Amino acid sequence: MKKILVWDWPVRLGHWLMVGGFILAWLTSESETWRLVHAFSGSVVITVALFRLPWGFIGSRYARFVDFVRGPGSVVDYLRSLIRLDPDHHTGHNPAGGWAIVLLLALGIATGLVGWAMYNELGGEWLEELHEGLAATMLTVVFVHVAGVISGSLLHGENLVQAMITGHKRGSPEEAIPSARPLAAIFLLVWVAAASWWLAN
Amino acid sequence: MRAIPAAVLLLASLASHAETPQQIRQIYVAEAASQQAGFTPSAKRGDAFFRQRFAINDKMPACTSCHTDSPLNASQHAVTGKAVKPLAVAANPDRLSDPAKVEKWFGRNCKEVVGRACTPAEKADFVAYLSEVR
Repeated sequence: MKKILVWDWPVRLGHWLMVGGFILAWLTSESETWRLVHAFSGSVVITVALFRLPWGFIGSRYARFVDFVRGPGSVVDYLRSLIRLDPDHHTGHNPAGGWAIVLLLALGIATGLVGWAMYNELGGEWLEELHEGLAATMLTVVFVHVAGVISGSLLHGENLVQAMITGHKRGSPEEAIPSARPLAAIFLLVWVAAASWWLAN
Repeated sequence: MRAIPAAVLLLASLASHAETPQQIRQIYVAEAASQQAGFTPSAKRGDAFFRQRFAINDKMPACTSCHTDSPLNASQHAVTGKAVKPLAVAANPDRLSDPAKVEKWFGRNCKEVVGRACTPAEKADFVAYLSEVR
C-alpha cells in the first residue's frame, strides 16, 4: 500500500468551498448587516452542489455516485465494522460517508433554493420556517459527517481531512486516478463565482 | 419569573389562530410590569424609540434606516434594497399577529441596531406605537 491520488481537484475544491459557504451562511444567518454575505455564501453552497451532481457521473473514478452510493446493507456492515473498532478500508468513500455526501448535497440545494425563494419573496412565511428547518437538519448531518471522519481517521490511522486537501489516500498503485482534473476545477470556480453572483442579486 | 412571559409567547405561537396586536402588547406589558410596578405602555415613547439614532451600526444607525421616517410607509432594506412592508398595523394588517415573529425580529434588530436586547418596556411601547399610529 502506498499513497495514491484518489480525490480529484473538483471534489476537493468543491468540498472546501461548501464548508466555507456553509460556515459563513450560519454565522450571518441572523444578521441584516451581513444579509448580502449570507445570500452569497448560501449561493456558493447551492452552486457547488449543483456542479457536484453531473460531476458524480462524469468525474474521476471515486467522484462518481456509482462508486460510493451503496445500499443500506453495506452501510450497516460498515457501521458494525466501526463499532468493532476495525473499520473496513475503502479507497474511495466508505458507505456511510457516501450517504453523508448525498444528504448534504440534497440539503444544500434544498436549503439554498428555499432561501433564494424567500429572498425574492416568492412565497409566504412558511418558507422561512422550512429554510431554518432544512439548515438545522443540514448542520446535524454535518456534525455526524465530521464525527464519522474523525472516528474513521483515528481507527484507520489515516488522516481523512488531510486526504481531502492533498487528494492522496493509501491504496495500491493501480487504484489511483490518472488525473486530478485541474481544468474542471477552474470551470467549477468560474461557475460558482458567476452563478452565486447571479443568485445573490 | 422571566420564564413565564417566554412560555406565554411560545404557547401563543403554537396556537393555530393569529393573535391580535392587543394580545401581543399585553404580553410585553405584563413582563414590563413584573420588573417595574405600575408600568403603562406609551405610543409616544415608542415613536421616540423608532426615531432614535443609536449609531451602533454604520449601515443601520436607526430603525428609520430601513423603515423610513414613518412606519406607515413601504420601504427598502438599507443593505439589500429588498422591499420591506410597512410596520404599522394600520398600513399592514399582517403586522403584530404572530408573537413568535415579533419576538424574533425584536431579538435580531435590537441586537444589531440598538446594540443590546430591548427591554420589555421598550417592546411594549414600540408595539403600542405600531398598533396606534395612523
